[in-house]
Amino acid sequence: MRSLVAALAAVTLAVSACGGGTAPGGAGEGGRSVQLLVFGAPEELAAYRTLAAAYEKSAGGARVRLIEASDREDLIARLSTSIAGGAPPDVFLLNYRFYGQFAAKNAIEPVDARLGASKVVRPADLYPTVTEAFRWRGQQLCLPSNVSSLAVYYNRTLFNKYGVAEPKAGWTWNDLIATASALTRTADGAVVKGTESEAGAPRVAVYGLGVEPTIIRVAPFVWSNGGEILDNQQRPTRFTFDSPKARQALRDFIDLRIAYGVVPTDEEVEAEDDESRFANGRLAMLLSSRRVTTTFRQIKGFDWDVAPLPTYGKAAGILHSDAYCITRASRAKDAAWKFVEYAVGPEGQRILGGTGRSVPSHIAVSRSRTFLDPTKPPRNAQVFLDAIPTVRRVPTISTWPEIEDVTDGILENALYRGDPLDQVIRDIDDKTRPLFARGQNP
Amino acid sequence: MNERRQLLLMLAPYLIGLTGLVLVPFGVTLLMAFADYDMIRAPRWIGLDNFTALFGDEAFRAALRNSLIFAAVAVPLRLLIALGLALLLHRRAGAVGAARTAAVLPTVVPEIAYGLLWLWLFNPLYGPVNQLLRAGGDNGLTVFGRTPPQWLTDPGDAQAAIIVMSLFTIGEIFVILLATRQALPGEVYELAAIEDATGWDVFRRVTLPLMAPVLGLLLLRDTILSFTVSFVPALVVTDGGPPPYGTTYLSLFVYRNAFEYLRYGYAAAATVVMLVLTVLAVALQWHLIRRYRRQYGLAPG
Repeated sequence: MRSLVAALAAVTLAVSACGGGTAPGGAGEGGRSVQLLVFGAPEELAAYRTLAAAYEKSAGGARVRLIEASDREDLIARLSTSIAGGAPPDVFLLNYRFYGQFAAKNAIEPVDARLGASKVVRPADLYPTVTEAFRWRGQQLCLPSNVSSLAVYYNRTLFNKYGVAEPKAGWTWNDLIATASALTRTADGAVVKGTESEAGAPRVAVYGLGVEPTIIRVAPFVWSNGGEILDNQQRPTRFTFDSPKARQALRDFIDLRIAYGVVPTDEEVEAEDDESRFANGRLAMLLSSRRVTTTFRQIKGFDWDVAPLPTYGKAAGILHSDAYCITRASRAKDAAWKFVEYAVGPEGQRILGGTGRSVPSHIAVSRSRTFLDPTKPPRNAQVFLDAIPTVRRVPTISTWPEIEDVTDGILENALYRGDPLDQVIRDIDDKTRPLFARGQNP
Repeated sequence: MNERRQLLLMLAPYLIGLTGLVLVPFGVTLLMAFADYDMIRAPRWIGLDNFTALFGDEAFRAALRNSLIFAAVAVPLRLLIALGLALLLHRRAGAVGAARTAAVLPTVVPEIAYGLLWLWLFNPLYGPVNQLLRAGGDNGLTVFGRTPPQWLTDPGDAQAAIIVMSLFTIGEIFVILLATRQALPGEVYELAAIEDATGWDVFRRVTLPLMAPVLGLLLLRDTILSFTVSFVPALVVTDGGPPPYGTTYLSLFVYRNAFEYLRYGYAAAATVVMLVLTVLAVALQWHLIRRYRRQYGLAPG
């Protein structure tokens, strides 16, 4: 009866919101068939298809039905409505920042017992930093597929063309500004300051840097500067951008556009996003996670590589990781576990690592030639592994998706519109406190 | 089988659909609006808390304001354009068939594809709309020396963009008004011609009063739809922005809270507010239409 009511309610909301909703197909198909819900760019989805095909081949008779969501929001919508309708996918892949809302609602099946009995993968095989991110109230809810961190993708051809030194380990925030300024150029190759131009000012053809104005891009610089973004990592109640170290890092970040003009304007980003701009050779550096590698491997026109994040003296990175979670209401938990075990085990990790999509969470595979193959860009893939000891993570609070949405909107206006720093800090604090108060912690 | 039973039998499929897909879900939504419910755990009765929280929520207030502005601007404009096209294209003339097809065509394009098309059209730098507006101007400015609208980054321009998008999906209204105009008796126009009535007089005293019942009906229908038609454009083209809530409409607010933040009870409360507003808007228009009909001595609707 409850699921009938839930299903009807889902229909009503879907109709009132958008005139229709979609839920992933039927329930578990029994036997060894597994439904896997994922999202990503076409190249990323191709990587998951490769993994699913390899699993089906290795486990004769098993089937994996990939349910492809268009983006993270779509995945969450499909997941919640299908759980409500009593027909959830068996496995879903979700970032640690967003699984908290399902964990808090007891919708994920813990895997401790199965992991303990597994002969394919042992907890010690995986990076502890990332397995911990998926522990909720003492239970291992999901198993990580990857352990990426933020890195600086850069266009080596542009660096060589303009005689600018390539970034290397230990470079600082000031080095980043100097490098980005030296690479912000007009079509004639002249250095230009890309601040808001008046009519007739030279147009920027290549920007030095691309970075999303989001909390997960700002956080590592706050940590590197010795500051904290939250008052309490385990039970946060507010952001602490009003502390001197955090404030300085935030101010420096916001200055990238208005003061230095090294990042594209909001109009330019809307016209062409940073990833496309980089792939088209119109961006010298891009701050991103490993996720973009599969797309960038299609680049033919120039040479590119990755470098570590610049620092304020202390190396700090931010964890980017997705994990396979088995839904509590899955009707094929054993089959689902078999797939998860394969995907996080050495074989699955080799296959997914080989596609370039992710930094394997399996320690041995991440250090193997599969991932570090110097013939496939980025040549300096070791950067991702070197960053692992210094990565930190944001809290897995159930309201984190709302907190990110609100904060990212404020940061976007700060970067592109130049909102006063005091107002930015006040707005972030005022608008997120109620969300922290409503959230449930691990 | 008697006539009454036959009628009931014919109505049955509709009644079953109406009950199962509209009335029961409406009842459930109404109940959910008074509960804290995430669709995974059991609902918890919280009385009016969702409604209290809604009116203290900046995002909801912005969504409410945006939805009302959209309804107030887009609905009359859509109706006016469809009426203009219907009056222009009701006669047989060269290429009138092609023109009618062009007027209807955007309505049959799938919503997501339509949104993606406009995303390209509104591209601030490379999109044809701003390229056209820049024609004749210097340094990226329009011919009047102003910067072209920032469709995707300025809140006001983004709202205008969503309204502009809605003005091309009027095919259904156009077809109804075209059929209505064609069904008007020719004798009254002949009489008006004998009386030497001007075009404006004919429109004001003949065409408009005769088409008024249909126009009134379309006005009511479009107002009801206006709370949902902004959903896909806002999701696909502007993603509810520019920040914080430039083009967040009630439908998008409901979607985000229900399906992204798993706050189904809260979203249900917003849905109830949306329904109440729709009823109020329709009641107001119904009242005005009845007054109009009484004023012109027409039979009550």
